[in-house]
This record gives sequence, C-alpha cells and structure tokens, in this order.
Amino acid sequence: MSAQRRSRALVFLAAPLTLALSGCSNVSGLGYEEGLSSVNDISLSLWQGAWIAAAVVGIITFVLIIWPAIFHRAKASKGEFPKQTQYNIPVEIAYTIIPLIIVAVLFYYTAVKQEKIVEKTSNYAHEITVNGFQWSWQFGYPEAGPKALVTGTPAQPPTLVVPVGQRVRYTIESNDVVHGFWIPAFMIQMQNLPGVTNSLEFTANKIGTYPGRCNILCGRNHAQMLFTVKVVSVADYKAYLETLKASTA
Amino acid sequence: MTTYAERPTINPTMTDPSSKGKNFVKWITSTDHKTIGYMYLIATFGWFLVGGLLALFLRAELTRPGMQFLSNEQYNQIFTMHGTIMLLMFATPLFVGFANVIMPLQIGAADVAFPRLNMLSFWLFMFGSITAVAGFLTPGGAASFGWTAYAPLANSTYSPGIGGDLWVMGLAVSGLGTILGGVNFITTIFTMRAPGMTMFRMSIFSWNVLLTSILVLLAFPPLAAALLALESDRLFGTHIFDPANGGAMLWQHLFWFFGHPEVYILALPFFGIATEILPVFSRKPIFGYKGLIAATIAISALSVAVWAHHMFASGQVLLPFFSFMTFLIGVPTGVKFFNWIGTMWRGHVTFETPMLWVMGFLVTFLFGGITGIILASPPMDFAVSASYFVVAHFHYVLFGTVVFAMFAGFYFWWPKFTGRMLNERLGKIHFWTLFFGFHTTFLIQHWLGIKGFPRRYSDYLATDGFTGMNMISTVGSALLALSMIPFFVNVWITRKSPLVNCDDPWGYGSSLEWATSCPPPRHNFLTMPRIRSERPAFDLHHPHVKTEGH
Repeated sequence: MSAQRRSRALVFLAAPLTLALSGCSNVSGLGYEEGLSSVNDISLSLWQGAWIAAAVVGIITFVLIIWPAIFHRAKASKGEFPKQTQYNIPVEIAYTIIPLIIVAVLFYYTAVKQEKIVEKTSNYAHEITVNGFQWSWQFGYPEAGPKALVTGTPAQPPTLVVPVGQRVRYTIESNDVVHGFWIPAFMIQMQNLPGVTNSLEFTANKIGTYPGRCNILCGRNHAQMLFTVKVVSVADYKAYLETLKASTA
Repeated sequence: MTTYAERPTINPTMTDPSSKGKNFVKWITSTDHKTIGYMYLIATFGWFLVGGLLALFLRAELTRPGMQFLSNEQYNQIFTMHGTIMLLMFATPLFVGFANVIMPLQIGAADVAFPRLNMLSFWLFMFGSITAVAGFLTPGGAASFGWTAYAPLANSTYSPGIGGDLWVMGLAVSGLGTILGGVNFITTIFTMRAPGMTMFRMSIFSWNVLLTSILVLLAFPPLAAALLALESDRLFGTHIFDPANGGAMLWQHLFWFFGHPEVYILALPFFGIATEILPVFSRKPIFGYKGLIAATIAISALSVAVWAHHMFASGQVLLPFFSFMTFLIGVPTGVKFFNWIGTMWRGHVTFETPMLWVMGFLVTFLFGGITGIILASPPMDFAVSASYFVVAHFHYVLFGTVVFAMFAGFYFWWPKFTGRMLNERLGKIHFWTLFFGFHTTFLIQHWLGIKGFPRRYSDYLATDGFTGMNMISTVGSALLALSMIPFFVNVWITRKSPLVNCDDPWGYGSSLEWATSCPPPRHNFLTMPRIRSERPAFDLHHPHVKTEGH
C-alpha cells in the first residue's frame, strides 16, 4: 500500500506547485495593476518573479515538512529506533549553496531595479512639493508660482494633480513629525522627514484617480491623513497650473 | 587513623513552607533559577493575555469603517501598548523564563552564575513593565507614539503627558533587567557547565540562549541610551533628537540598531525550543548539529548588520548593502529549516502535542520567512512597507515563532516543571483552534496591505474596499482568543493528575534535563550522568543505540 499511497500523495502535494508554475505564462499583477506608473513598470516584474520563486521554494519546503510527518511515522513494524543519522555533508552543502544562489539572483534584480527607482535625473518635466503636516498634506506647484499651494485638512483631504506620461520630481518634506508619502497603486512611498529633504521621480502613466495615504504614524489623526492622486492629461495639467496661478496671484 | 563523624541527615520536609503565605514569600525571595524562571513564565503569560486583550480591542474597532467605541487617541495608545507589551514584556522576558528554567539543567549546573542578580533582573523587568503600562492610569493616558517611538513624534512637544515618560523610563528599567539577565546567562554557560559538557556537546537551546544573550548585550544598551536621551529631551529640553540636528534619522538608526537584533532575540530561543522537541519525537539526533550552530552564529552576526531595512523608505540609507545583508540572513535560516526537516526525515515520528506545536511553528514561520525575503528587496518594500503586509509578515514571524514554540515548550516541559503531564486531547484542540484562528486573522492582512491599508490606522473609508477583509481578520482574532480556553481548562484539570515519577516521560529525551527527576531537586541533579555526546540523557536511557553518519 505504501508505494501507492505515496504516489497518490505526491500528486496531491504537487498539484499546487504545478498550478503555480503553469501560471507563469500569464501571471496576474498579484494585487497590482500594470502600467499605472513608471515604478510599476520597474517593480511589477520583480514582484511577480519573486512570488513565483517564493511559491516554488515555499511549496517544496512545505512538502518536505509534511512528507516525514505523514510517511515517516513511528510504527511497531519498524522497530523502536530509526537509523541515527546525524550528518550528511553533501546534503548539508547543497542546502547551503542553493539558498545562496536564490538570494544572489534576487539581489541582482533588486539592485538593478532599485537603482532605477531612486535615480535622480535632470530631465523631469515638472516639479511638485509634497509637504506632510499634522494631519494633512500641502502640495506645491512651483511652476505656478511660489504661492501655488494646495492644502488639505483631515476632514477635506487634498488632491494631488499630476500629468500623465511626464516625469515629475517630488520634493518630500515635513515641518513637524515624520510622515509617509504613499501611493499604493503606484508601488511607491517615501518618508517625509523633518530636517531632511527627500526627493523622488516617477511618471504616472494612466489617467484616473488613486488613493494616497500617510503610512508613518504621525499622531492622533494619522488615519485621516489621506489624499487623492488625480492623473490628468498634459493639457489639463497645464490648465490646472494656470488656474492655480490665477487664484494665488 | 582518621575517624569520620556521621553525616547529619537533613529531612527535606523540615524546611518546606507549610502555608500559602510562606510559599509566596519563598517564591518572591527565591534565588533558585527554576523558581525565578517559573515567575518569569507566569508573569510573561499574564502580559501575553493583557497584550492579547488590547489586540482584540484593535480588531473590534477595525471590523467596520468609522469609529465605533474608541477614539483615535485611545486607538493609538492601545496599539502602542500592544506592541510594547508583546515584544518587551511578553516575548523578551519569556526567553528569560525558559532560559532560566531549562538552560542550567541542560548544561548540568546547580543554578545560574549570579542567583541574586537573577532575582533582581526579574524585579527590574516587572517594575519597569508596570511603570510603562501604568500610563493608562494617568489623565493623558498611556504612550501613543507607537512602540517604535519615532522622533520627533515622541518628544514633549508632540506627545506631552506623563504616559510617555512612564513608557520611556519603564522600558529603560525593564531593559536593564534584560541586560543583567544576558550577563547572567553568558557567565553561566561559559563557567558552569558540568564536567564533560563541552561547547559542542551543549544542546541547541542552550547554544541559542548564549547567542541570544550576546545579542541582548549588543542591542539593549543602545536602546537604553536612546531611551534615556529621549527622556532627557522630554524632561530637560535637550535637543538630542531635534530634527534640526538630524534627530529624526538618529532615532531611527538607534532604535532599529536595537530593533532588528531584538527580532532575533525573540526568535533564536524559540528556534531552540523547536530544535529540542523535533529529535525527541523523531527518535533521532538533530540532523547537522554543527551546521545548525554555525547557521545560528551566522544569523546572530548578520542580525546586527540589517537594521536599516526597516528604513528603506526613509530615502537616507544605503539600499544595496542593507538589502544584501537581509537577503543573506535567509540562507542560514533556510539551513535551519533543512536541519529540522532532516531531523524528522526517516525518523520514527510521533505526534504528541509538543510536536504538533512545532509543526505549527514550522509552517507558520516558513510563510513569515518568505514574505521577509520579499520585504528585503527595496523595490517591493517601497510598495508594501508600513502597510498591513508588514503587520501580517511580522505576526507570522513573531507569533509563528514565539507563541507556537512557547506552547510547544509548555506542553513539552510541563512534566519537568510540575511533575505532571498536560492532557493530550485538550492540547490538540488548543492547537487546532489557535492555528486556524491565527491564520484567519493574519493571512488576509497580506492582501489588505497590498490593497493599500496602512498599519496603525484606526479607521478606513467604506469606499476603500477594506471592510470584508477586516471582518474576516476580526473573526479570526476571536477564534484565536477562544483558543486560550482549552489551555486554561487543561492546566486546571491536570493540576492533580498522577505524577510522572520518572526522569523522561517522553521516553526519547536527549538533553540533560531529562536525566534528572520531574521536577528536579533544589540543585538540579542528585547524580550526573556521563556526558559523552550532545545527547547525554538519550545515551543514559538507550545506551545500545549508536549514532551514525559522522
């Protein structure tokens, strides 16, 4: 019975693995939409690849944990003691080297991609300042003049208007405590640090509205520190800057 | 010719306290490492229940959008104290508790090196912990700046009120207790091992206690310094963590320089417990004993070089270095998994309750480890850091390790503590309710994080699409809470069950604690067996079984 039971179990346990692998040809965004921002373009393939690798490693390890729990149980027919194996040097070397190779590969892609995400260029089209304060946001559009500021309140979260398809440099600051500028759908975040000026460059690639949230605890109304990202056409963005200029002049 | 006087016979019952009051005084003034250990275990379990109760408040509030019964400020206080209690009043001293009871037995020592210091550590821990939690009794409430206390939110401008001061000073005091505990364990292991107990015959749990204690000495003094500096800012108006001087980043560096080794301070002893249990219920020696020790040393060394992976999104750290170091930690952790699997492999595996809990640990921690590798990569960290994905990740890692291995240890060593077995059937009911409760609560939180729910949010909008997932999580947390009932019933109904009256009720114990009575006598051993391998108790009870594969 043992061999039959074993092969049946193998099929049962291998099924999720096969499913995970067959998914390779058409992997979903695993929670993220493709093409929303330049960061998605860089990170999404890593996110998908890492999860496929994680699923393979995880399922293999899971099967290896469950296998002896099912098939290597104590039985009267086997006698009291198994062989008292303590070391197996080739196996030990293998299970040290293989994880090392896996993380080396992951690190390679990580290093290449993170450089692209944090890269600062001079060819950005627009500049926007993102100032976090207790407990809302102030977005500044220097192109529309120094007074072109959009300020929200906890009850009235502000809207961050950005042009589609154009690279924007965000200057990320805070004057009170640490905040976190996070746009989940764009797969990007950066801390607003008091006393430090952070910056980030990326392009929004699809017209629409996306929620943004502060994700570093900043005091009582942390959960009300929301904003909306509104991605508009370049023409609409120009018009928006003009209205800002007119209203603050 | 020499004459010897007859040795006086000491009647042990003569010194036994006869009343509850005397027993109480005996306990709180004891210098016996076992008694102090039990006090740690009981006290930390009490904190575990308090921290768990606070977590239920959080889950209840998050079930539906809108604030139902807590204010924002109360919510912030509750998650701050939930984190603080679980990490610094439950998990860290729980390690001290297990180490106190078990480690001297495993190395064949009569007690720890500094028994009175040991008791002082306990009282520092309790006094400090009560101080920190006492903030709830003050008019302004307890600390509400998160257990990470980021500067400048934690200073007196943004977080006025005595609750914050009590938190800072309470943790400094309790941290001193932990540091002294670390000193005690290191000294004990280096100087008080029984004859024949070489370092490479020492059980993995004791090895992990040693390495954990070294990490305590590396991590807790910087925390103490940072806390005292923070209090100086709060009280005397100094500018150590003033953002104008780069204080915001200084705090993050100091805090995480403590905070990341702390994760391994919490994990290693509990890896040790799992490593003690697997061979006993596989009837085999640990697979790759020396490799496992090397892996643990590697983890400890790497754990002090990865702190800035908590700060990837700060824009102020060298991403490739900290990312690579973090990935590297995955390698020795993977090695540990294969040691554990190899121990079971072709063993004669049986599933008494402790083994079941270890399986729960392996499966849960496996998933926590995998999401850890995901978070080690800054591009992916930028997507999900500081979200519920991270909350889910660290609960898989910490709950998976600490709580599963704690219960494994309780069921495993209960006869050693009390002389009586816990009930197996109730133990299994306890395990399965906790297992399903845990995974229902936390698995869904990965999706919540990916969908954009930030951690430490007291509320969300009905339009956010978080409601269903939060409801599932809350239902899971209720099941998780209910799983404590079979455990309490178990402890209660077995309080007068028959004594095991043997050294090793499991039958295949390896390490030295299974070579003395249950419970052990005052100074642990009446006779010391020969120690010629890392399985002295097994060699004693099964002298004919030979180890292979050297």
